[in-house]
Amino acid sequence: MKLYKKEGNIIQILSFPNETVEKGDYLLIEDADAGKALIAQVIDVQFASIPGILEELLRSLPDGGELIQGEDFDPLEIAPHITYIQDASLLICKIRATVENESLSPSSSWLPSRSQSTIKKLPIPTLIKLAKIDGKLPIILGGTKDSSLLTIDALSLDGRLNIITGKKETGKSHLSKLLMLNLIGYKATVVVFDLNGEYLSLGMTTDGKRNAYHDKIHVLTPSQNFKVALKQLNLHVLLEILIHALHLPGTSAREFRRIWQSLKERDMLNMHELGEAIRNWHCNQHVRDALFSRYYALVNSCFFTDNIAEATFLEECVFKAKEHGGAIIINLRNTSPIDRQIVVEYLLAKFVELLTSSRLKAIFLFAEEAHLYLRETYWDDIVTRMRHFGIFTTFITNQPDTVRENIYRQADNIFLFNFTNEHDLEVVSRAARVDAETVKSIARDLPPHYCLGLGRVVKDFPMVIKVKALDVKTMGETRLFFKDTN
Amino acid sequence: MIEQYTIATTPKYNFPQPTTNTTLPQRLIEQSIHSLKHAQNQPFQLNQQIFQQTNNIETQALQLKLQPIPLQSKHEETIVAAVDTSSMKIGETATGTLIAVRGANVWKQNRNYRYIRLGPFIFHITEENKKEVYNTLQTAYFNTQHEHNHHSPPNLQQMPTRIASLLERWLQTTLTKTINNGLILFDGSLTTGTADTPTSLMKEILEAARKRRNIVLAFSKMTNLRFNGHLITDILLEHKPPYLLETVGLKTKPPIVLLGDIYVARLTKGNYAFRLDIDKQVTPEQKIEAVEKLLGNDLLSQSYPETLRLAHILCTFTANEVIAMQHFTAQAYKLKIINRPDMHRLLFGPFGKGENNA
Repeated sequence: MKLYKKEGNIIQILSFPNETVEKGDYLLIEDADAGKALIAQVIDVQFASIPGILEELLRSLPDGGELIQGEDFDPLEIAPHITYIQDASLLICKIRATVENESLSPSSSWLPSRSQSTIKKLPIPTLIKLAKIDGKLPIILGGTKDSSLLTIDALSLDGRLNIITGKKETGKSHLSKLLMLNLIGYKATVVVFDLNGEYLSLGMTTDGKRNAYHDKIHVLTPSQNFKVALKQLNLHVLLEILIHALHLPGTSAREFRRIWQSLKERDMLNMHELGEAIRNWHCNQHVRDALFSRYYALVNSCFFTDNIAEATFLEECVFKAKEHGGAIIINLRNTSPIDRQIVVEYLLAKFVELLTSSRLKAIFLFAEEAHLYLRETYWDDIVTRMRHFGIFTTFITNQPDTVRENIYRQADNIFLFNFTNEHDLEVVSRAARVDAETVKSIARDLPPHYCLGLGRVVKDFPMVIKVKALDVKTMGETRLFFKDTN
Repeated sequence: MIEQYTIATTPKYNFPQPTTNTTLPQRLIEQSIHSLKHAQNQPFQLNQQIFQQTNNIETQALQLKLQPIPLQSKHEETIVAAVDTSSMKIGETATGTLIAVRGANVWKQNRNYRYIRLGPFIFHITEENKKEVYNTLQTAYFNTQHEHNHHSPPNLQQMPTRIASLLERWLQTTLTKTINNGLILFDGSLTTGTADTPTSLMKEILEAARKRRNIVLAFSKMTNLRFNGHLITDILLEHKPPYLLETVGLKTKPPIVLLGDIYVARLTKGNYAFRLDIDKQVTPEQKIEAVEKLLGNDLLSQSYPETLRLAHILCTFTANEVIAMQHFTAQAYKLKIINRPDMHRLLFGPFGKGENNA
């Protein structure tokens, strides 16, 4: 390999056919005289622009598009040299860091010698060691391109905003389960908004037996084993639900506030009394009708109960998880969109309450397709305000444009699976810790179950990872009509 | 002789019979390797302006008959074969020049084009070895002493074209002694008596062709022949092509000899015409018939036969091949590549257009 060109932080390297380099590989460009080396990542492999190549190709097809038949008497065997030159490739590389005295710096301000520099592939284990990617709390994500294990540090997920994205059936949920289970292993409290019921059987192995996580997976299904009593709620939480999920107008909300205060003063906060209070409240008939319609929506969701004993499971689970680590799976599979919003509004408010009162240290929230249940104003809340309380979110989506741009800008880690659509890649490339060229070039060619890890988890050295298999019943598979035929 | 195979089959190719020296490629290889070995570990200077050389010698004025000879395509199946060679200087060493030559024979048979390509042969030519290389090849090929020896040994600049000419003559001989009842297309003219085109050798080639009832047609891409001050190929009549214009009265001084009758051939629509030399020794009728058979048996585009175009294309060196040959010499013979500064560029900056454009 030979150093050819440097423009900004892009380096072009000429590579010959006997040197196998692929997209995503790391190269070490060492300048012995300068005592420094550049670490560059191959983001694209192109044909080298060889003079005369067009003539060469045209010459081989002069006979109406068919190869002209003939014999070459090439006594000096120049032909292999011709193909060697023809097959030379140009590696477009992005400079990631400079190594000097075995320490890394993000600088790319110096220029290695074009004639004296030596260029070689940098094995991923060496890079991991140099960049200190594996830390005190290792999580084995899978294999790297050169078949070594890639271990990240759980600390790099702590207090961070993560995004897992990629097109359908590329393995996003699989990775989120892997991260989740490893966090549980380190006694973390994990909450999952499970839209499709994919996480319900994480406590089972693929052959249906209990696994090590069985006692740590707590599945809460709203209106079944997960209900709340009005007494457990703060007024502002219920108002958020009424205004944002059930679109209660402002005037009616003011009347509701008065009804609530009245019931609270009389210690009569329950669904039955709430219905009675609305019925007997002196107010405009339209307001009463508005309040009644929302009241019946709450009743019909079956999420609210007057039986306090029924409404304690969430807190029980949270405190179990706090003690030994565990995951609270909120099963939203058969929940209507409005009920989903009611549940999520309640949960987020509840967690903030638990965190602010220091009854919980922090939670790792995994939100699948969050746009389906998270109201607009909550996005910013989650990534800014709630982060300070200790809610560290991982968004999982196959529609990257449903996640707002400012979320990408603040994302600390991105796990990017395959995308072929230019628009999708454009959206993801807005993330602050990512350069657009890397995303667009590498993500497009990722095979299923391979992801590009970006951000703090890989110390800003984007890495292609083959996500390891899990021995858990994942239930993320799509139900098929022609399954038997296949 | 319709449906008669005009090329006798051999496992590789119809190389000439033993009367012709078939060892030229072997000698080329030997001389090539021998010369390169002597250049081993020498630094060499990349050629700053790569050029291909052609040769054409025409001096006398002539008359052009402005009565066109109309032509009709004759589809009687006839093999069409063509020869071309290329030479190139690929770099310089401290003591000499690295050159490469390659040649190609192309023929059209059963509506398919086929080729055999020889080379590239790379030589390291120095003042010391140029005579030896050239004479060895010449003797190996000619067997008899031709008037070549009357000429002074070629200088280094001429060596690429001179070695390519040797290869071209050999390829021409091969075709003339292999094909029957065919048309053999040469690149250039049938003017002889120059260092590259010894008259006796060219006579032998033409005679060999005639013996097998072949007719040699030589197409020149460039000519200096003028009529009434205009290049003969620029004189385009109103007549609808294809046609020939005959020239007469061209006189040459010894040692220059014209072995062909010279025509202007305008074979397709468009403003392209070429000087066409046809073997003097064949009858005018045979000459016309040969061109008509060419029209009926080969593709013609811009008045130029496809077979000859392919021969040219196949032997031409592309920049990619030049790099590959430089790579080969550097790898196999450890020649260190040094870029000697271009003094014109060095002295005159953007006003220096390079040594070859001074």
